[in-house]
Amino acid sequence: MKALGRFWWIIVLAFIAFYPPTLGGMSAYKSGILIFVGIYIILAVSLDLLIGFAGQISVGHAAFFAIGAYVSGILTARYGASPVVALIAGMALSGAVAWVVGRPVLALKEYYLAMATLALNEIVVTLIIGLQWLTGGASGLRDVPAFSVPGFTFDNHVHYYYFVWAIVVLVVASTLAVTRSPFGRTLIAIHSDETAAKTFGIDCAGYKLRVYVLSAFYASLAGSLFAHYMGFLAPDDFGVLTSINILVMLYLGGIGTIYGPALGAVFLKVLPEVTYQFQDYELLMNGIILIIVLVFMPKGLFGILTNVRDRFFARGAR
Amino acid sequence: MNELSALVQFFFSGLTSGSVYALIAVSLVIVYKVSLLICFAQGEFFVIGALTMVTLTTKGLPMPLAFVLSVLISTIVGALVERVLIRPIQNSSVGSLIVMTIAISLALKGLALLIWGKESHILQPFSAGKPIHVLGATLQPQVLWIIGITIVALLVIWFFFEKTTLGIAMRACAENRLGASLMGISTQKAAIFSWAWGSGIGALAGMAVAPLLFMQYSSGLMPMVKGFIAMSIGGLASIAGAVIAGYLLGLVEAYTIGLISSQFADTIVFTLLIIVLVFKPSGLFGATRSREV
Amino acid sequence: MSQERGTRIEQPETMAQTDREILKVVEVSKSFEGVRALEQVSFGVTTGHIKALIGPNGAGKTTLLNVIDGLLEPDYGHVYFHGQDLVGMETHKIAFLGLSRTFQLIRLFTVNNATVLDNVMLGAHKTLQPTVSGALFFRPRTARQEKAVREKAMEALAFVGLEWAANMLPNVLSFGNQRLLELARSLMSLPELLLLDEPASGLNDAEVERFMQLLSDIRRRGITILLVEHNMKLVMNVSDDIVVLDFGRRLAEGEPAAICANPQVIEAYLGACMDNGDSR
Repeated sequence: MKALGRFWWIIVLAFIAFYPPTLGGMSAYKSGILIFVGIYIILAVSLDLLIGFAGQISVGHAAFFAIGAYVSGILTARYGASPVVALIAGMALSGAVAWVVGRPVLALKEYYLAMATLALNEIVVTLIIGLQWLTGGASGLRDVPAFSVPGFTFDNHVHYYYFVWAIVVLVVASTLAVTRSPFGRTLIAIHSDETAAKTFGIDCAGYKLRVYVLSAFYASLAGSLFAHYMGFLAPDDFGVLTSINILVMLYLGGIGTIYGPALGAVFLKVLPEVTYQFQDYELLMNGIILIIVLVFMPKGLFGILTNVRDRFFARGAR
Repeated sequence: MNELSALVQFFFSGLTSGSVYALIAVSLVIVYKVSLLICFAQGEFFVIGALTMVTLTTKGLPMPLAFVLSVLISTIVGALVERVLIRPIQNSSVGSLIVMTIAISLALKGLALLIWGKESHILQPFSAGKPIHVLGATLQPQVLWIIGITIVALLVIWFFFEKTTLGIAMRACAENRLGASLMGISTQKAAIFSWAWGSGIGALAGMAVAPLLFMQYSSGLMPMVKGFIAMSIGGLASIAGAVIAGYLLGLVEAYTIGLISSQFADTIVFTLLIIVLVFKPSGLFGATRSREV
Repeated sequence: MSQERGTRIEQPETMAQTDREILKVVEVSKSFEGVRALEQVSFGVTTGHIKALIGPNGAGKTTLLNVIDGLLEPDYGHVYFHGQDLVGMETHKIAFLGLSRTFQLIRLFTVNNATVLDNVMLGAHKTLQPTVSGALFFRPRTARQEKAVREKAMEALAFVGLEWAANMLPNVLSFGNQRLLELARSLMSLPELLLLDEPASGLNDAEVERFMQLLSDIRRRGITILLVEHNMKLVMNVSDDIVVLDFGRRLAEGEPAAICANPQVIEAYLGACMDNGDSR
């Protein structure tokens, strides 16, 4: 039993590896759902670094999701660029934007910060809609090709599933590594008490900026993966509502734990599929879920799971 | 003459949106002053008020009755939200409170979607009448209603907070929570009332402008954000500042749309917000912040 | 314990900073919305000494520490550390010069289950200065540094007697132990000058005794201490000199015996200095 507590991740990896040929039935639709889940896991864990660890509330994470998606989409659909190059270009642009706006914006506190990140999200979306000649505007960007590396094209959803999930695993592993490192410890100091942190030589502004840029990189990566999966991009998918949905995943799963937000992403993307099939209910359900979590289970699903684990699996057999 | 009439047209449009922004900003300020919260869900009350009135009038209720009922319903919803959802976590971190108001906004928006669907709804103008022509520009009579309602609302607010016991008590809470509660003023009652005021005024703004816009379940975000912009420019805790800033914002936006670009007007407004937040977070009328220790 | 020294600045004769003064506060003034918190406060701290900063509540002691530490900018005046003016410098840069500090209210790092050991290791930020790439890509050098810091952290905890608490959460510790944790943490930054803001407040007699011993040990390591305190027993026992603040002004400065005998000081603050109790 103790082994289960320590090596549960092997089970998870095995599930991911064997899903398509078994439960997934090699169907494009079912693989597609999990591709979505994977993309949102990347978004959620990257936002957790920013909110859960550095303590900077952002209601505009989708801005970088959008930049990655549209750069990939535009460069590949309109200019025939290689998807790998486009992906890197997207990350570079996202990082640059984060770098430029990060310093003044992250100096703001709480409500102001939330509003500024929201404003940034809206700026990106309105620019996408306004620059119609480049982005296709409100009607969207079409004909984004499937992702390809030299020698192989991922036009089969099952193939793309494995590609995306390989990346998801890497992203989760790297964010975990960051949080367990001295850098992650420093973020916790900044989150706990910026004033005290400064007296130990911690350049709070600099660290916040670095984490912001890092989270922007990941979000952009998710955006590019999204673009090549969908083949079509619409500005509606990248608005404040999307940012808020990611926020719900974070709190539902358990903020500040990396695993939690990943769990939250799975939950929130799979739940509609198995219960209420109607998209119209999604908004209300998300709101209610978030409210319930905030009032009754602030540590989120992961918090509950850890409690269960500690009670049953720790300290040897009962 | 054409140019002048265009400028006048923009002026009217700026007055219209300015009234809306002013009202929403004031509603945000009231909640903020008493509860130190910025209600993310304000836009939803704007929508709910308007859509409730649409439903009531289509069901055959006379307009004045529908008006009063809609305000009442929104006010009650606002008060309920405070009592049931905000009060339990009122001592949590600011982050949690921010996210809670976001959650409330999400839930209310979802509710609106279920009740009214994705379609846009339009409300009958409050009075039948032909558009008025001023200097070559057209003025919808509804605009006069909007401005009138705004003025009346502001007067009522002024009267309430300056002259009534409850209003003065609420102001005391805003200025000094501990002191007020030591004097026997119930801070919790003040909180509920502030939310009631906030949601009521927000709904009022929505209802007043509904005949001129297409309202749908998601129409709440923009007015809320612009109300927040006005609130920030106006000094965060200043009702007068919020009003002035609201009209300023409305006019600037109208002239930007008219003279510069309509496609990027929102982009410009949001950039303006970031600039205001970064350079003068306490607004034009607020006190400068000293560095915290 | 060699630290990088700041650039030397030429001093006018009257304000000559001797090599023996690690810190020199010169004519520091600060007002908040019309209230004078500090008015032309000047004094020096001799290297290797423990200097106490005392005075009634509201005299401006914490404000002065905040000015020295860069958390607050004075309206006038200078703060020279090894000849370098700290006024205008950001707090985290001042920390790199060799200043460390504790606060009146306990400020421990508690988010995401940070442990006692995490807190102490964070004190060594100057040494580690972690980066993102360091987190993502393994390098033997960083791993060695981390290990060395961990060992030093355990030593610091042992110094204050808290090594048993290393993997516990800070909020399960008693108040007195939390204060000790803060002390251990601030030692990790290898400071030359330690600013302590009422470190003994809330401690019982036994804990104060313990604290006095620790302060002496710290001084023996060559660290200079500027101590804000109300506990006169502690002050009288460990201080080499004392500076008294009242209404934002320097009232007196000198050795403990002289301060005790000073009639102005007695009237403003001490009452019976020989009482050896808490002067509040």
